[in-house]
Amino acid sequence: MNGRTPLGAIALVGPVQLMVGCIIFLPAIYVFWLSLNQSSFGQAASFVGFANYAKVLGDPYFWRALVNTVIVVAIVVHVELLLGLLMALFFASGVPFRPILLAIVLAPYAVSEVSAVVMWRYLFEPDVGMMSQVLAWFGLPPIEWAVKPNHGLAMVSLLSIWLHLPFSFIIIYAARLSIPGDLYEAGAIDGATGWAAFRRITLPLLMPALLIAALFRYIFAFRLFSEVWLMTGGGPARTTEVLAVYLYLEAFRYNAFGSAAATGWLLVLASLLLALVYLRGLYREMFRKNG
Amino acid sequence: MARRALPALLKWLGVALIAAWSLLPILLIVMSSFKADRDIFSTASRFAFTPTFANYEQLWSRWGDFFHGLWNSFLVTAGATILAVLVSLLAGFAYSRHASRGLQASAFFLIFIRLIPPIVITLPLFPVVNRLGLNDTHAILIVLYATFFVSLGTIVMRTFIDQIPRELDEAAMMDGATQMQIVWRVILPMAAQGMLAVAVFVIVYAWNEFLFAFIFTTTKAKTAPLVISEMIGAVEGVEWGVLFAASTVQLLPVLAFVILMQKHLVAGLTAGAVKG
Repeated sequence: MNGRTPLGAIALVGPVQLMVGCIIFLPAIYVFWLSLNQSSFGQAASFVGFANYAKVLGDPYFWRALVNTVIVVAIVVHVELLLGLLMALFFASGVPFRPILLAIVLAPYAVSEVSAVVMWRYLFEPDVGMMSQVLAWFGLPPIEWAVKPNHGLAMVSLLSIWLHLPFSFIIIYAARLSIPGDLYEAGAIDGATGWAAFRRITLPLLMPALLIAALFRYIFAFRLFSEVWLMTGGGPARTTEVLAVYLYLEAFRYNAFGSAAATGWLLVLASLLLALVYLRGLYREMFRKNG
Repeated sequence: MARRALPALLKWLGVALIAAWSLLPILLIVMSSFKADRDIFSTASRFAFTPTFANYEQLWSRWGDFFHGLWNSFLVTAGATILAVLVSLLAGFAYSRHASRGLQASAFFLIFIRLIPPIVITLPLFPVVNRLGLNDTHAILIVLYATFFVSLGTIVMRTFIDQIPRELDEAAMMDGATQMQIVWRVILPMAAQGMLAVAVFVIVYAWNEFLFAFIFTTTKAKTAPLVISEMIGAVEGVEWGVLFAASTVQLLPVLAFVILMQKHLVAGLTAGAVKG
């Protein structure tokens, strides 16, 4: 590898780099500048330092949104990974009609957030929805997602898990398929079957894939917007907002671009932080495997 | 394989659970779109009912907006897919065949950029897009959708192009082919699998996307998901039947596409995740 990049290569990567640079990177930098200024539509900006960050961090609605986001992300990602892992193991143990079942499992990947909200609202419509009736049959109370904040967040989590499980499952299942069968045969000779085989063979070899899936899902779940916006709109009384909804409302409803921008940068920083921790974990894992 | 076989009954139970979880929500709204209003929430007619096209007729006569939205979705999806696949092909080729410190840094930049949430960049883009008169146009959605997938697209293309023997482009170079001719005549035909994988991602994303359409379109370029969201909002005494009909029309084409392209979707997901 040398320091010179051939002109031809520059021309080839040019369009991609230009698009990403102009539409994602520069605006993101500009958001940082915005976050240091007081501004709204049609108004000249004035420099206020970190006042916007102070304002956001002093806003109880921001903290509510942050806590909601962390709770939903933690539930969604971990349940997804667990279900994805169980399903991958189930598939690997041999299932009837595997190709058809695989297509069925992938189906939610094709569903838009909007249609998913329609589906799950229909299922859980109080009194008359199918799931509400199933809950009642078991003597459980219905999910009142429009009235109780916790129920709203539970619906959002359920919906997110349903929409994104195909992704986590595929990543984990592909990794499971690449584990050679001989390993299990060798393990069986040494007396490792069942749980021991899972602990000593499957889990360590699936770890990189689990970490990758976790990393992607943490980062993407953190941006959660549409599901919440369409399910509860952040209500009742701003109790189910997540960070992206808080940002949207600050910018486009309350015209507070400064605090919206500050929230935006806090979101970016959180993503970076998540990625750092997990990328380091991933590299360590790979290093151990090689060494 | 030396694993204990699960008892057959448990296995079938697992299959039933997985199928119900994945399919039941979809099946219910597709079925209910053919129900008369009185059957939609009736327990007795949950699975057995007399089908009717009334909801689709209502949708057609009262929600012309929705079909306009479908057409917009189609145009935006087609535009974004072509743009994203082409530029990803070029960049993927460069990253596969050339190596330098600059390229390595720019590849890292592509991965790094995926960490920036879309909503963050709407803040500065919104006024700029308005000033440029791009608000409520297909162009802005096409560019946004393509841009958010070129990182993944490039990574996936690179993985696929890595598998094409270099000898082929070297031979073409000996024959005096230019770089563009090599991409067009040698790489493109052999990288079709990768291009399909990238296309599947972009198509599913662009067809279903809500956030950017919500912020950047109002009437002319409004996409189908946005119209459906207005139907949810407009009808607090929700007209479920019409809503189901619209959701079904929006969903079925892309669902069929995903099932058809299953193999490419899986290949793309794994290629993108391993390198990304």
